[in-house]
Amino acid sequence: MTGAEILMESLLAQGVDTVFGYPGGQIMPVYDKLYDYSDRLRHILVRHEQGAIHAAQGYARVKNVPGTVMVTSGPGATNVVTGIADAMIDSTPVVVIAGQVSNAALGTDAFQETDFVNLTTPITKWTYQIRRPEDVAWAVARAYYIASSGRPGPVVLDFTKDGQTGLAEYVPARCDYIRSYVTDHEPSDALLTRAAAMIDAAQRPFVVFGHGIVLSGAEDALKAFLYKGDIPAGSTLLGLSSLDSDDTHFKGMLGMHGNLAPNVMTQNCDLLIAVGMRFDDRVTGTVKTYAKQAKVIHIDIDPSEIGKIISVDLGILGDAKQVLTRLTELIGSRTRTEWNHFTDDIKAVEKLKVINPELRPGDGAINPGEVVDIVAKVCQGDAIVVTDVGQNQMLAARYSRFKGVSASFVTSGGLGTMGFGLPAAMGAKVALPGRRVCLFVGDGGFQMTMQELGTLMQEGIGVKIVLVNNNWLGNVRQWQELFLGKRYSATRMLNPEYSRIAEAYGISYDSVEDRADLLPAVERLFADDAPAILQVHVREEANVFPMIPPGKSVSEIMLNKTEWI
Amino acid sequence: MGEPKEYLYVITAYTENSVGLLSSIAGIFTRRSLNIEKLLVYPSKVEGIHKFKIHTRTTPVRAREVVLQIEKKVDVIRAFAVVDDERSPREAAIVREFLKNRDKNNI
Ligand SMILES: Cc1ncc(C[n+]2csc(CCOP(=O)(O)OP(=O)(O)O)c2C)c(N)n1
Repeated sequence: MTGAEILMESLLAQGVDTVFGYPGGQIMPVYDKLYDYSDRLRHILVRHEQGAIHAAQGYARVKNVPGTVMVTSGPGATNVVTGIADAMIDSTPVVVIAGQVSNAALGTDAFQETDFVNLTTPITKWTYQIRRPEDVAWAVARAYYIASSGRPGPVVLDFTKDGQTGLAEYVPARCDYIRSYVTDHEPSDALLTRAAAMIDAAQRPFVVFGHGIVLSGAEDALKAFLYKGDIPAGSTLLGLSSLDSDDTHFKGMLGMHGNLAPNVMTQNCDLLIAVGMRFDDRVTGTVKTYAKQAKVIHIDIDPSEIGKIISVDLGILGDAKQVLTRLTELIGSRTRTEWNHFTDDIKAVEKLKVINPELRPGDGAINPGEVVDIVAKVCQGDAIVVTDVGQNQMLAARYSRFKGVSASFVTSGGLGTMGFGLPAAMGAKVALPGRRVCLFVGDGGFQMTMQELGTLMQEGIGVKIVLVNNNWLGNVRQWQELFLGKRYSATRMLNPEYSRIAEAYGISYDSVEDRADLLPAVERLFADDAPAILQVHVREEANVFPMIPPGKSVSEIMLNKTEWI
Repeated sequence: MGEPKEYLYVITAYTENSVGLLSSIAGIFTRRSLNIEKLLVYPSKVEGIHKFKIHTRTTPVRAREVVLQIEKKVDVIRAFAVVDDERSPREAAIVREFLKNRDKNNI
């Protein structure tokens, strides 16, 4: 078989059913072989390679299996770099197969040669150049194993022309062990017993959890732990949807635009139990004042995360599900009623000062938060919510409501990649066609990858696009308003006529300006499963609150432009 | 509180002998603006395992961070950081023990 055919067989052996990609000169032998495998491998032709990688990320995030990307060398490969970096920082399993020039041409500045291995080394878990067909099966098996095991992440296979066209026997390969790569951390009984004793001794323990819960499938384990210890919990942006929004132990989202209660609990607990999260500065504010009063237990699968940002009293290296399950057995059954109600007052303050003004402003222009709220009402918590980056993202995180199904919130957290939303939503819908997929996107981010409307059209992918249009780069404008004396440098955005763009792609379109029309329009949007755009014209200079200004303490929270707690 | 004190560290990494690892490890230093004072890469005392020996001036916290980042690379077996003159001779033994356990798991 040729290397290209071995690649096809190896992908099938990994259970790959979908590839997001874009052809070109140095990957043509692979695409030629793909032609013969089109009944078993669905290839989705995107409009720009950045779309392919974000789609693969969306696919991976909702399905919890690696997404697969196929691109040509040079510009095709460099176009996926943003998504690789995004997948790295957000622990998303993706495998990128990139074409490369022939072995003899390597290092000669041949047409469309870039040093893709070196370009991607710092932003991948593993990068490997396949130069011989004999190595294909081994490299593919290893790539999928590395991408999906331990703390997941992106892997690049740089596939030279000779590797693709050369002949070798196909020997199926498996990989579930690499001696230099440890993922099966087993915490000792002694360590877990110490942790349980710390938890039992705590009067005010508080759990902060993140993406690790989703990645390890620890949702039920987390819930059992919280219920047995009667322990309240807050989520990072990427942990959202792993606990139901209305769970009595769930206090909301942490961090810069999070809810007041979990931030206040962080600063008042006597034991902070961090699970599958990495103390991003958007969560901690300045670390100088972060949870200084508390002892800290950090549970994570990545040894380099423990003690990286926050010094811990006890680090537990392990899989979140396993560790939480064992801890639940060890801790005492307790009620901590008073502590669970500690933030009732502050929750009422948030409702009065932030939520009501956002969601029930009376008259005037529609607030962006209202749009999310209405979608949540119509979808009853069963949609996969995908966001772009900016105010739309923070409001989607704040006002979406999740129930029953984890991995239902897809967003670019660590990198904050504008343009992520539309292709990621596309990938999520391809992965789980039976679910509703709702994208919230701003006018800025939409225009970064809007060309993927072509992919929705060609493949009939039923993403529901809610375009929250404020005619600004809203998030940046908010910072300029609050911290730079309203000097609106380069944030005003003139928008195209989106109805005509939708029309050009044959995608149904609706637009809303008045509050009274919002609910019916959202109901119409979700009445079928076809791709559609709903543009909502929202209040132009709206701000997202509460806000912990950058560099400030988690205890210094703006409720609006004039009030702080 | 002044700036944390810097020491001359010897960071060692025991690794598989794979292409690209040098630049991958070097990147960890570059990203943190750590100057490499001295660098040696050679076959270690452990059979089939290579060794990187990197001298750099940094704080204890950074040194620990760098070690963990190096160990995070798939082809790195173990990494250590010690202050120059009190270097531990036990590293090779630790690596041998580690590999023995790992290879046992493999069966
Ligand atoms: C690729 C990229 N470029 C720039 C930024 C910086 N940035 C963050 S939010 C934002 C504004 C987003 O505006 P828009 O997409 O209209 O969304 P809104 O905040 O108005 O909801 C910008 C420019 C970014 N996050 N990503």
